[in-house]
Amino acid sequence: MKLFRLMAVLLVTIAAVPVAAHHSFSAEYDFNKPLKLKGKVTEMKWANPHAWIYIDVAGKDNKVEKWAWETGGANALYRRGWRKEDLVAGTVLVIDGYQARNGSKTANATSITFENGKRLFAGSSSQNSATK
Amino acid sequence: MLLRRQACVLLGLFLISAALISCSRSPASSAGSIPRTADGKPDFSGIWQVRNRAAADLEDHVARHQAPAGKGVVQGGPIPYQPWAAAKKIENARNRATADPLATCYMPGVPRIMYMEFPFQIFQTPDHIAMTFEWSQVHRTIYTNGAPAPDGIDFWMGDSRGRWEGDTLVVDVKNHNDRTWFDLAGNFHSEALHVVERYTMRDVNTIDYEATIDDPKVFTRTWTIKMPLHRQTEADRIFEYQCQAEAEEASGAFEPDPKTWYPGPSVTVQTPAEWKDVQTVWKAPAPKGTIKRMPDGKPDLQGYFMPDGGGGNYGLGKHEQDFLTPEGRGVIVDPPDGTLPMQAWAKAEAESRKAPERGYDDPTAHCFVAGVPRSMYVPSPLQILQPPGYLVILHERMSWRTIPLDGRPHLSDHLRLWQGDSIGRWEGDTLVIETTNLNGKTWLNEVGEIVSHAERVVERLTPIDVDTIHYEATVSDPLVYTRPWTIAFALNRQKDELLEVACHEDNQDLQHLKDIRNEARAKAKGQS
Repeated sequence: MKLFRLMAVLLVTIAAVPVAAHHSFSAEYDFNKPLKLKGKVTEMKWANPHAWIYIDVAGKDNKVEKWAWETGGANALYRRGWRKEDLVAGTVLVIDGYQARNGSKTANATSITFENGKRLFAGSSSQNSATK
Repeated sequence: MLLRRQACVLLGLFLISAALISCSRSPASSAGSIPRTADGKPDFSGIWQVRNRAAADLEDHVARHQAPAGKGVVQGGPIPYQPWAAAKKIENARNRATADPLATCYMPGVPRIMYMEFPFQIFQTPDHIAMTFEWSQVHRTIYTNGAPAPDGIDFWMGDSRGRWEGDTLVVDVKNHNDRTWFDLAGNFHSEALHVVERYTMRDVNTIDYEATIDDPKVFTRTWTIKMPLHRQTEADRIFEYQCQAEAEEASGAFEPDPKTWYPGPSVTVQTPAEWKDVQTVWKAPAPKGTIKRMPDGKPDLQGYFMPDGGGGNYGLGKHEQDFLTPEGRGVIVDPPDGTLPMQAWAKAEAESRKAPERGYDDPTAHCFVAGVPRSMYVPSPLQILQPPGYLVILHERMSWRTIPLDGRPHLSDHLRLWQGDSIGRWEGDTLVIETTNLNGKTWLNEVGEIVSHAERVVERLTPIDVDTIHYEATVSDPLVYTRPWTIAFALNRQKDELLEVACHEDNQDLQHLKDIRNEARAKAKGQS
């Protein structure tokens, strides 16, 4: 039920999450390192100016890699109906975006796809932004 | 004539003595002598500060490094900690040099911000009481319009809802996080904290401030602190103390830019006389509908607004999307070609700021305030208040601009501020704001368009219907540009109240940007 509510909120709203960058994403992330990872949510860090989604990804030799994905800010998510507890641990996601230039396991999310194939924008960068 | 004047003086003296006598007899009978707003409420407007040592420790305390001795402000005995929490408080005190959230310039929360050794200014309207603090441009809004607190979200500064009980303002402060302390001594709380503040005006220059603390996770019962707030009668403005910016400048983490920063009184920059003519070529936009007005007939600009900044935060001219940098429709209306008239050196400098290793140099990447006019087009809401004599702009990204409308002169040229010194005046239905005394530390946007300490800004806010303010800003900066230039866009009313953007507190990006800069520097050093 909770996931259903989240999906409903996301479907209606995520595509319009505004850009609220406080720094240059183009400076921080690497155009030459596009990334698509499937993983399980371990935590959502509800923060400004950007929220973070942490996922566990099965890496090489089945070793678990921990990845941090930067998304839109908590205030933008709140205004669109998200609540802190909505993205529950264990939810499986495929996230698209770009890896940080400093080589850490950090990336900027340009879209989030749920297991059922619904593709949703994360809105931390320019894609589908209503307000800039 | 002389007799009449003497009679007036005598009458005045008599009235003052009568007032003094009545004050000394009974505090209740002095109620008539306190300032009141047009709607008859006690008027707390003004600049205030405590004169105690509660910031060091709420309880009686001996002196310690950077914490003078002082009397406690807790009423009726020690703070009633639960046993585990009493132990935690002792641990906090031991580690306070690093564990105190203020040691890393995190927002102090409520009530701590009220008794720090920094002044704050109160602005009062019937629906909102705003407090702007010298410390790091933090602000609070106490809603007195009956609107409910939001649910499911917490803030460093809590959420404040006020009501009047006679002449006392009673404020419920809820929605706290568990990351702030009460003082430098490690007194702390959980996210279950509920503060009830009471503000009562004792006389024209004194507010009796009281805060009752309830936190069932940490204390065995509620407890109360009490202290007077004193009017800062000698101050006509408050300035700034940007905690994190000062810390980073002192440590070298944020480096000075000699091309733009104010170098000190040795340098004076004259704005060319002919530039002034360019600035005055301006035509007020035609209204598109009715506009709201204040009781004095001036336009009512109050409310919550979202700038339609046209991507100005990513380049003021028209530009395409570039990787993760959003496109912009271009908001430059003068010069007519829509480009910034930069001098050659500035073009080269702006180009170099686009490099990834310069991303770290943008002050807003450090969560420092955006400056003028950038604070007006960062993609984040703002609130406008019009208390008597002022226009106040509160930015969701925790900064403020308080703009007096009384025609006072600008500050001395040597006093430079991140948000500058703004003075406003009405020209017809347009509010004209002149901003000087900027420090040259800010960037115009993430792509590094430039302003220097020679920047002066004239902004014009014209309501064109009940939900829209036409905004224009003309920037004159003879160190950077060949002529003044003007941007224009709309501020659109939104229903949502401001939330709070705690930026520095959870800024995970800065370290990445620093790594990129350091790597580039190491590479350049290796090549040289």
